[in-house]
Parts: sequence; structure tokens; C-alpha cells
Amino acid sequence: MTDLETYRAKAAEWCEAMVPAFGKAAREGLTVEEDLALGRRYQKAKFDAGYAGINWPTDLGGQGLGHIEKITFEGEEMKHGFPNVYFGISLGMPVPVLMQFGSDREFVKERVLKALQGEEIWCQLFSEPSGGTDLAGLRTRAETDGNGWKINGQKVWTSWAQYSDYGVIVVRTDPTVAKHKGLTYFWVDMKAPGVTVRPIKLAGGDSHVNEVFFDDVKISDDHRMSPVGGGFAVALATLMIERYVATDSAGFGPHLDLFVDLAKEVRLNGRPAIEDGRIRQQIARNHAMRAGLDSINRRARLMMQAGMTPGPEGSLNKLVAVRSRQKLSELALDLQGTDAFAFDEHASPKDDWASSWINAPTGRIAGGSDETLLNTIAERILGLPQDHRPDKGIPFNQIPA
Amino acid sequence: MSILYDEGQQAIATESRRALEARVSKDDLLPLLQTSGRYHDGFWTTAKEQGWTALALPEAYGGLDLGLVELGLIAHQAGRTLSGAPFLTSNFGAAKAIELYGNDTQKARWLPGLASGETIGAIAFAAGADALPDQPAIGLNAGKVEGMAPGVSGGLFADVAILLALDGGTPALLIVDLAGIERKAVDSFDNSRCVADITFAGTPAEPLVTGEAARAAALRILALQAVVTAHEQTGGAEALMEIARDYALTRKAFGQPIGAFQSIKHRIAELYGLVELARANAIHAAACEGQDDFITAAAAARLSATEAYDTAARDCIQIHGGIGVTWEIGLHLHMRRSRTLALEQGSSFFWEDILVDRLAGAGA
Ligand SMILES: Cc1cc2nc3c(=O)[nH]c(=O)nc-3n(C[C@H](O)[C@H](O)[C@H](O)COP(=O)(O)OP(=O)(O)OC[C@H]3O[C@@H](n4cnc5c(N)ncnc54)[C@H](O)[C@@H]3O)c2cc1C
Repeated sequence: MTDLETYRAKAAEWCEAMVPAFGKAAREGLTVEEDLALGRRYQKAKFDAGYAGINWPTDLGGQGLGHIEKITFEGEEMKHGFPNVYFGISLGMPVPVLMQFGSDREFVKERVLKALQGEEIWCQLFSEPSGGTDLAGLRTRAETDGNGWKINGQKVWTSWAQYSDYGVIVVRTDPTVAKHKGLTYFWVDMKAPGVTVRPIKLAGGDSHVNEVFFDDVKISDDHRMSPVGGGFAVALATLMIERYVATDSAGFGPHLDLFVDLAKEVRLNGRPAIEDGRIRQQIARNHAMRAGLDSINRRARLMMQAGMTPGPEGSLNKLVAVRSRQKLSELALDLQGTDAFAFDEHASPKDDWASSWINAPTGRIAGGSDETLLNTIAERILGLPQDHRPDKGIPFNQIPA
Repeated sequence: MSILYDEGQQAIATESRRALEARVSKDDLLPLLQTSGRYHDGFWTTAKEQGWTALALPEAYGGLDLGLVELGLIAHQAGRTLSGAPFLTSNFGAAKAIELYGNDTQKARWLPGLASGETIGAIAFAAGADALPDQPAIGLNAGKVEGMAPGVSGGLFADVAILLALDGGTPALLIVDLAGIERKAVDSFDNSRCVADITFAGTPAEPLVTGEAARAAALRILALQAVVTAHEQTGGAEALMEIARDYALTRKAFGQPIGAFQSIKHRIAELYGLVELARANAIHAAACEGQDDFITAAAAARLSATEAYDTAARDCIQIHGGIGVTWEIGLHLHMRRSRTLALEQGSSFFWEDILVDRLAGAGA
């Protein structure tokens, strides 16, 4: 066995052992608060076992291993439906950015350790009512206030803000310059006076996203994580989502074998649906697409293992997989006919077609809409021109609203 | 087999690309369309000189003992340049049939010629929409075959063919020497494929596999060819994506490059997705040769490659506007080839069925 196979085997074994305490059955019927509490215990268990911050530096509490070990572990972890969703954003973007750009290293170290152990959660306050895709169009502002700053405005779609202790935030500090130039990046204490968090209920029924209001929220200048006016670069660094995170060719919906099973059970016009050409075609096409993504990801892992950098094709996963998950879920409901009406808001999108279907649109928007992803592929990979931007170079306060 | 190309394999890709770009051009290919019965000499001579015909065959018979992965790399480049002869695939298919199922005499007789490229092989299983008919129209009787093999790619120049025939009630995989056999050239939308209807009237044939195993053997041969073809299709799709991208960067409308319009730009980005999925599946399938899941992998490769090439042909022409539909610019060469390759080793219907049967646990 190679070192990596040994690593995977041990990770698999550890995950297996966690199933009774943290697996799907253990989570059944819990309220969100209870599930979060379970999640915190799970995160602590992960930390104690050496599976938290796998590729983070050891002096900050990480394991000092590579990206390849991280995704190897996540590949195993993903199989069990553990309560880890609460930490996805926190450990995914804000805390790594804090590690990179936080100036007070003692503070950084303390935060990182607490986040890794599930004690503290961070959120990412970028999107606003005025627009999410157009990140640099944000309106929340910070004005100097003595030695520090005072924030006013509103963020939206902030995942897990209601449970967060801290957040990273981009705000406008100078409306008189072009929109990208007037932004500054800070961290904020989500419990500070003047911060109000109001959950938004999503179509699928859950409320993990929030509106966050800032009314004269005072922060000192040591919260600043970018030069004044240099926030956009740090924001982009935050958005440079790791391409090959634990990817799922099912688009975080059900795996295809569940659809095949359904098609074998259900009858369509008196015959097993699996014999129907329309169904067969969808199964075949979905398999071919998913097999392609799996192969891209496998190749990327092999490249990382060999010390090479994988190609940009990893950016395809979310775009291709989520769209197809959405359509396949529709088809699965079609197959069940009126039996599909029965709906359980708490069912998992990984193994319930209705839940997969109703939550699929979220997947096509959050973390970059389809259109954004296509633009990124077109511009960054294929070298096609940027979109026409009439607001380019114009001072922010002179852009017509 | 790894799905990561090593240095030697990358060298094969670079070298074959260089050789083909130097030897094959649109101006050679366009005239081939206007008559049936010509193929692109430049391509076939290059293939022989470079040893591509010998690549994936055993050393004992003049081969180079490499595999489907390497042949796939070359097919990919051939697809990019639209190399105008079907023989790379069909020779390989015929040679593999003989290598896998032939006896020593048959191997000694045919493999050296197929390896050197002096002998041209063809595969003739299909009857119309049926890539692998249950009831082949060719009958075997006392060692002789009767019947017609329609639409055989490369059939016009083939020296040897592998057939699926019916021997009494059971299928048989046969090898037939085509010397002196009458064939009728089919006027095709892609004439450089040298398609022929081949009629057998008491032609001597030798068995390779008899009984029910013959169908499984034929499917395996078809899958091997399909994987080569999938590489070729991916190469064609990739070339079209690049052509579209380059054109979108230079052609202007309303004061800006058309590539700045999202309906154009996103289309090209979508092509990127189709090409990369096709490539990933093709490489994976080639690396699966000889394993249990080879047929499944081949089917997936085939489906995504066909989708990628067809879509790329449609969209690339659309992105070119009027110039795209002219004879001169030659994008129709890709359009023709994309459809030819989509039909040659079994249509998408065929592979969808094979794939679903396997995924549903039937007909393994
Ligand atoms: C479940 C969920 C969780 C989220 N979590 C967070 C979070 O934790 N923190 C955070 O900051 N944000 C978060 N977001 C916000 C998310 O990043 C944005 O919703 C997303 O970027 C889209 O922005 P928008 O909703 O303002 O849509 P808009 O930007 O208004 O877009 C509307 C439509 O226009 C299209 N569009 C916009 N610009 C272009 C263009 N240039 N070309 C073509 N089409 C374009 C979009 O693709 C979309 O279809 C979350 C969103 C969701 C749904």
C-alpha cells in the first residue's frame, strides 16, 4: 500500500467508527440547534483524531499535510452524512483568509484553534441586496471613527451568520473612486453592538442564510485585513475557491444508482420504467457525465500526488453536476407521479428526490451562479473578452443606480 | 494503466501532432469529398512511417507492444486534423480480433501486414441501425459466407474483414480474405471514409469465435474501436472549440469582438465542458482495457465523445455566421466527420442500451 492508501484506509476506519455517534441515524429528528451541538462535538472529535485542518500549518493547530490528504479524508467523510455543514464556510474561506491576512498572530492562532475544534464559527459577509455577482458593487460602508471605523449597511445571504462568532466583511471605505478601488476588508465580531442577524427561510424550508444589519458597528483598526482601499484583492483571494475540494459528481444530490433502482421499481405505461427509452437515455447520459467528472477528479488527485498542479477542468464540477442533478430530480418525481407529492422537509438531498429537486436551484446560485462560472471558464481558461462593463472606471458615487 | 500520461506518452502526442499538422491540410481533404473511392494518402503514409499501425500490436508480429492509451493519443491528434482515412481504427479492430481470437496460423498470416499498414483491415458487424445484430444477415455454410455487409467504413480498400455471421442458429465471428471480392462504393457525405457495401457469394471464411461467445467477442472488438474513435471525436471537438474561440476573438460586431457577447462566450465555455468530459472518459476507458468494467467505460466514452463532437460542430459553425457554412472554410469537414464517427462504431442508442443494461445489472 502506498502512504496515501494507508492514510485513506485509516481515515475510512475512523469515519466508520464515528457513524454510531454522528451518522445519519444519530441525527434523525434533531432540531437544528441540537444538530449543531452534535456537529460541534463531531468537529472536536475530528480535531482530536488529527483530521481537522489537515493541510494547515502545525503552528496554528493544523496537521501540516497536503491538499491530497485533505481531499482523501473528505472523500471518506462524505460517505456518512456527518453534521459538518455548519463549518463548511467557516473553515473553507474566512478562517484560511484570517490565517493569511490577520495581523495579530496571537489572536489569529487562538481563533484558528477554536474554529478547528468547533467552538467558534465564522461567516462570510460579501453579498448584499444590491447584488452578489457584482461583488464590487456593494454599498455597506465604513467611515473612520476616532482610531477605528464605524460600519453601516446590510449584507444578505450570509450562511450560518446566526450561529457565527465572527465574520469577514468587505465594505466601501471610499465612494469617490472606481468601485473596485474603494473597498476594504475587515473581520467583525458578530456579537458586537449594532449587529442584527435575521434568518431567511429558503424554498426548501431551512433557514441557514441570513440578512445581517450593521448599525453604527464600531471596530478598531486592528480588525483591518487589507490596506485601506485594497479590499477587493483580498476578497478575490477568498473567492479563489479550491477547485478540487471534495467534489461530488452527483452535484450533492442523490447518486445515480438510486435513480436506477427507482426506474427498476416503478412502472411506466405498464412496463418497468427501466425499459423506457427516455429513461434509459437519461441514465446513460447522466452516467457518462458523472463518469467524466469522476475521471477528471481522479486524474487531479494523481497529479497532486505526483507533485503536479491539476488543470483548470476541475472548475466544471459544480456547473455540470448541479444542472444535471436538477433535471434528474425532476425526472425522478415524474417517475413517481402523484406518489411524489409526499414531502419531508427534513429529508436529505443526498437520497431524497423531492428534497434534491427543491434545493437544487440553491446549488446553481450559491458559490457562483452558472453564468458566473461560464464567464470564468470563458475568460480565465479560454481567454475570451470580459463582459462590457459600463461602470468601469467611473467613481462609485457617480454610477447611476 | 494510469490515467496520467507519462513523458513517453506525451512525446507521442506532440510528435504525432507535429507530423499530422505538417502532412494534412484542409486543402487535401476538401477534394476527397467530391469523389468516392479516394482516401488521404498523406495520412496513411504518415501512419505507416510513424509506426502508428504497429503501435498497439504485439512485438512478435512486428508491433510495438504499446496499448490503447497510446493509440488513443494518436487518434486524438488525427481527430484534430481531420485525417481522412478510417484505417487507423479499423486496422486496429481487425488486428485485435485476430490477436485475441485467432490461432497461430491466422496471426502469422495477417498480423505482420496489419502492423506494417500494408494490409488494411475492416470490421463489418453492423446492419443499418443495428451495430451488433442478433440475426446477422450474413450466413455461414460449410466454411463459406453469403450475404451483404452494408456501409463498411474503409471497406473499399480493405484486404481482410472481420464479420459477425449466423452459422445455422448461432453467431460466429469470422475472418474473411477480401482479395478479389466485389464491393460497391457508397457515395457518402464523408467520402474520405471509403465506405462500401460488400457482397459475399460463397466466399471462404475462417472462424475466430463460434457460438454465443461470438457476440461478446464482437462487442469487445467494437468497444476497442469505439474507444479509439472516442479519442478521435474528442480531438475533433477540441479543435472546433479552439477554432470557435479564435474566431470569436477576432471577428467584430457592434464595435466589439463577438466573443464578448455572452451567448457566444458561454457557448464556447459549454464546449470546454463537453470536451473535457469526453477527454476524461476516453482516457479512463483506454486505461480500463482488459478490465471488467471496460465495456461500461467504453460506452461512457463513446456517448460523451459523440455529444462533444456533434455539439462542437453545430456551435462552431453557428459562431462563424455566414462564412461558417461555406465550402471553402471547411468547417463542414468537421460536421461531416462528426456524424460519420457518431455512426461508425454503433450509434448513441446502441451504447446507451449497453450502458444501461450494465448499470441496471442486466446483460453483463
Ligand atoms: C444558499 C446560499 C448561501 C449563500 N451563502 C453566502 C455567504 O455565506 N456569504 C455571501 O457573501 N454570499 C452568500 N450567498 C450569495 C451568493 O454568493 C449570491 O447569491 C450569488 O453570488 C448571486 O448573487 P445574487 O443573488 O445577488 O444574484 P445577482 O447577482 O443579482 O444575479 C441575478 C442573475 O443575474 C445573473 N448575472 C449577474 N451578473 C451576470 C453577468 N455578468 N453575466 C451573466 N449573468 C449575470 C446571475 O447569474 C443570476 O442568474 C449565498 C447564496 C445562497 C443562495
